[in-house]
Order: sequence, then structure tokens, then C-alpha cells
Amino acid sequence: MSVTAEAAAARAPVTREPTRRRLPFEIKMLAPALLVLAAVSLFPFFYIIAMSLSQVKLIGGISFNWAALDNWSRLFGDGAVWASWVRSIVYFIATVGLELFLGVTIALAIHEAKRGRNILISVVLMPMFMAPVIVGLLGRFLTDSTYGLYAWILRSLHLYTGDILGTKTAAFAAVTLMDVWEWTPLIALIVLAGLASLPRSVLEAAAVDGASYWGRLRYIVVPMLGGVLIVALLIRSMDALRYFDIITNTTNGGPADATKIVPIRLYETAFRFFDLGYAAAIGLSMLFVTILIANGFMRVMKARGLAR
Amino acid sequence: MTSARGGVGSRIGLKLLLGVILLWTVVPLVWMVASSFKPADELTANPPSFSFKPTLDHYNALFSGGNNIGPYIRNSLLAAGLSTIIAVALGCLAGYGLARSHFRGKDHVAFWIISQRMAPIAAVVLPLFVIFRFTGLLGSVWGLIVAYLTFNLPFAIWIMNAFFAELHPSLEEAALVDGASRWQAFRKIALPLVLPGIATTAILCLVFSWNDYAFAVTFSGPTSQTLPIAASQLVTQTSIDWGQLTAIGTIVVAPMIFVGLIVRKWLVTGLTLGAVTGE
Repeated sequence: MSVTAEAAAARAPVTREPTRRRLPFEIKMLAPALLVLAAVSLFPFFYIIAMSLSQVKLIGGISFNWAALDNWSRLFGDGAVWASWVRSIVYFIATVGLELFLGVTIALAIHEAKRGRNILISVVLMPMFMAPVIVGLLGRFLTDSTYGLYAWILRSLHLYTGDILGTKTAAFAAVTLMDVWEWTPLIALIVLAGLASLPRSVLEAAAVDGASYWGRLRYIVVPMLGGVLIVALLIRSMDALRYFDIITNTTNGGPADATKIVPIRLYETAFRFFDLGYAAAIGLSMLFVTILIANGFMRVMKARGLAR
Repeated sequence: MTSARGGVGSRIGLKLLLGVILLWTVVPLVWMVASSFKPADELTANPPSFSFKPTLDHYNALFSGGNNIGPYIRNSLLAAGLSTIIAVALGCLAGYGLARSHFRGKDHVAFWIISQRMAPIAAVVLPLFVIFRFTGLLGSVWGLIVAYLTFNLPFAIWIMNAFFAELHPSLEEAALVDGASRWQAFRKIALPLVLPGIATTAILCLVFSWNDYAFAVTFSGPTSQTLPIAASQLVTQTSIDWGQLTAIGTIVVAPMIFVGLIVRKWLVTGLTLGAVTGE
């Protein structure tokens, strides 16, 4: 580095392009985090690929026996795993469908409220911060067939008298509703942000032109919320594969596999049957689906002009 | 929407709807907190009892004797707290670097980061379990901290990137013209302006890791179990101590609701990973 170059750098008004050939500032800022992230994520990623190609034994240390594509061919022919995927999809459609419908309804209602909107929002958001394991255990308490509050209400109204978590359909409905209870607030929060950003002038013009509340909702509000709703849908769809704490702590996949979604199946394969190689193949197939969803998310971000 | 909803009827309808929404949200929470103060014999009454003499028995039991949850609280605070601090510190640097850089392949790096945050927990737990087993991290709080970094770090980088990207670079450029270094422009100009973003990121990282069950149940040993594990351990084959369970539930949930609502204004940015910005 010569003296003249230093002087030139000092004279240059904007020093965004550094004259010294060293690592750009941005890369230096990125490096520490990316190195740590690579250590905690890339290594496990290659590791799980290796596991999926092996017979993994945990007895007396760990041993990998090369098994080529055995786990994978087994995966594609395994009816039980396919059944879990179907259940995951039904669970996803039921939870996210209800959450979207209720979330939009709640957001519209709160948006219309004249007074106490901040308090309303704060109260409605509360379930979202709860540990899912607590939601599951609390749900179990509420639905217990002898002393559960909700079971008692259903019994008193002659709506349902059976053992809720012990019956296939009822158990599936119960774990679905627990997820809906916890995560509908997130959708409501997202939709409220969308509603707040709607241009007032358009809505006022429509009202002046005599459009009814439902008319404005149907033709203006819902179409304009489209982008926000897609974001909500993508976020929740990743979470549907990501979290399984509620089911683990209520039915743990039962009764008779009625709530055994893919992550529960993986967990059982790995940590009850210790079939780690096969579990790795299931895990990678889940990862593949997640990457497809993440891809959709990035496209939405780009379309909304948020990812540069 | 402007609320020219007209008639008295629809106003009453709205009040009713809001009432139902509040009941649906609040009843389980109120029932949990109330049950934690209920005498043991009334917890399993049929029909449920609504009037009772409140007692602190269950809380006392949690903080004394063999069931003391003190160590669980310490482990939860250590694991969630340290992974949050590391994630937010590194996330601020990297989020700024990402927001201000234009290198080729930036999209791929961004995609890699976000896909790490979205990865299914079950698929992450599996290789980490085997790796932790032969590195000795299994059963230690450090293992949990590393495990929580797998989701908190990509989350912090991504969200801080979103907050920094909203900040126009002209202020920092002005500081550079005045002779500040890049680091000073970041430290003195950009960082103070995204304080709400930092608080939101930190609180969400804390909530995610404090609430974690799947990693903790797989990786934690006798000396590193966290509060959610303490809660699930009260469920045994023969019986469930609902008094202690609802008390732990209250202890786990109350602080997170409190800190979560502090950053309510910025939550939407954080929870949609920057795809929707609030108010």
C-alpha cells in the first residue's frame, strides 16, 4: 500500500469500493455467522445423508454398515410411511384451513372494533407464546373424560360423551383444535398487518359508491390480502412439518396410529426402534418437502420486492 | 376498513363475535392458572369445581423437596439465554453484511440461511443425536445451546437482514464521507437505529428456545433438563399430578407472554421472517 494510494483513498468522497484489495467489509461481517451456521448445519446435513445410506447400529459405540439404497427403496414401498404422509397432509389441511378461516374472521372483527383494540390484540395473541408441550398437556387436562372441563361441557350439551383422546376421529379433531388454538393468533396478526396497509381511499370510494360491507370484503379486501395470506400459508405449512410437540404429549400418534404424522413416525423409528438409517431416509424426504416450500417462500418474497 | 357497518344489529353481532373469540382464547389459560391454585382433591372432581379455596401447595411442592424445579429453571435460562445471545450477536453482524452486500450468489446464500430455519426439527435432531453422542455433547447444556443455534442463528441473520434492509444506506454513507470507518458507520449509525429489531429478534429467539421440547427431550440428560421436560415428566403411566403440572405450565408460559407482548408492534415482521411488515 503506497502513500499515494492512501491519499487517493482519503480524497475519494465515497469509500464504498475500498482501494486495498482485502476482503470486503460485508463479507467480514458475514463470515463468523456463516462459519458457525455451516458447522451446526452443513456437517449434520452430510451426516444424515450418510446415515440414510447405511445400516446404523448404536450398540457399543456407533457403526455404519454401507447399505446403498436399501433404506430408500424400503421407504418408497412402506405403506405405513405413506399413510403417515397422508395423515400429515390431512392434518395440515385441517389445521391451516381452520386457522386461515378463523384468523381472517378474528382479524376483521378486531379491525372493526371501535374501542380497546390494543388490549384485544394482546389477549388474542397470548396462546402463540405458549410452549407447545404445555398446550398439549393442558389440552389433555381439558379433554379428560372424567374431569376435563371441555369434556364436561360437551357431555352436558349432549354433543359428545366418549373418551376424546381415546377415539380415532375425536383424537384427531382434538389435536387439530389444539394446534388451531395456539396458531390462529399468528394468522390474525398477519392479516391485521395486511388490513392496516390497505389503502383507505379505495375502501371509502367503494363505500360511497354503495358497496355493502360483504361486497367490499369479497371484491376488495380479500383479493388485496392475497399476498399476505400466501405468506401465512407458507409459514404455517413449514411449521406443520416442523413441530410435533402437541401430538407427542397428547396421543403420541395413537389411538391406532390415527394421529401418527410423519415427524412422529420418524421419532418412533429412530428412538424407539433405533432404526437410525431408515429414520434418516424419512428425515431427508421431509427436508426435501421443506425445501420445496422454502422455494415458494423465496418466490413470494421476491414478488413482494422484499428479497434483494 | 372504514367501519360504516351501519345498523345496531351488526354492532351487537360484532360484540358477540368478539366475546366468543375472547372466551375461546382465554378459557384454557384461565383454567390452567386457576387449577394451579386448586386443592388437589378438587382438581379431578366430576363435574369440575368452579369455586374453591386457593392454595399455594402446588407451587410450594415445586420449589421444595425432591421435585425441586430450580435446576430445570437454571438449565432453561442457560440454554435459551446463551443461544439467544450468541445468535443475536452473530445475527446482527451477518444481517448487516447481507443487507449491504451485492455479491454474486447472494440469493443462494440467503436461500441456504432461510432453509436452515425451516428445516423439520425431527430431521435435524437425528444426525445431531449421533454426532453429540460421540462428541460428548449429549446430556450437557452446551449440546442444547448448539442445538438451539441450528434454528436461532439462521432466524437472527434473516430477521436482522430484513430490519437493516429497511434502513436506507444514505445515513451510513454520510458518516463515511465524514471520515468514519465502515465499522463505525455500522456501530454508531446503523445499529442504534434497529434497536427495536434487535429486541424483537432476541425475544423471539428466547421464546423459540425456551419453549423447545423436541431437542431437549432427545439431548438433555439428568444435569441439563429444561422446564418443558419437567412438565412432561409429571405424566407417568399411573397418574398425572395436574396441580404441579398446571403450576409449571403457568411458570413456563407467563414470562414468555410478557416478553412477547413487549415487542408486539414488530412481531409480525419477526414471525413472517420479514415477508410482512407491521403497522
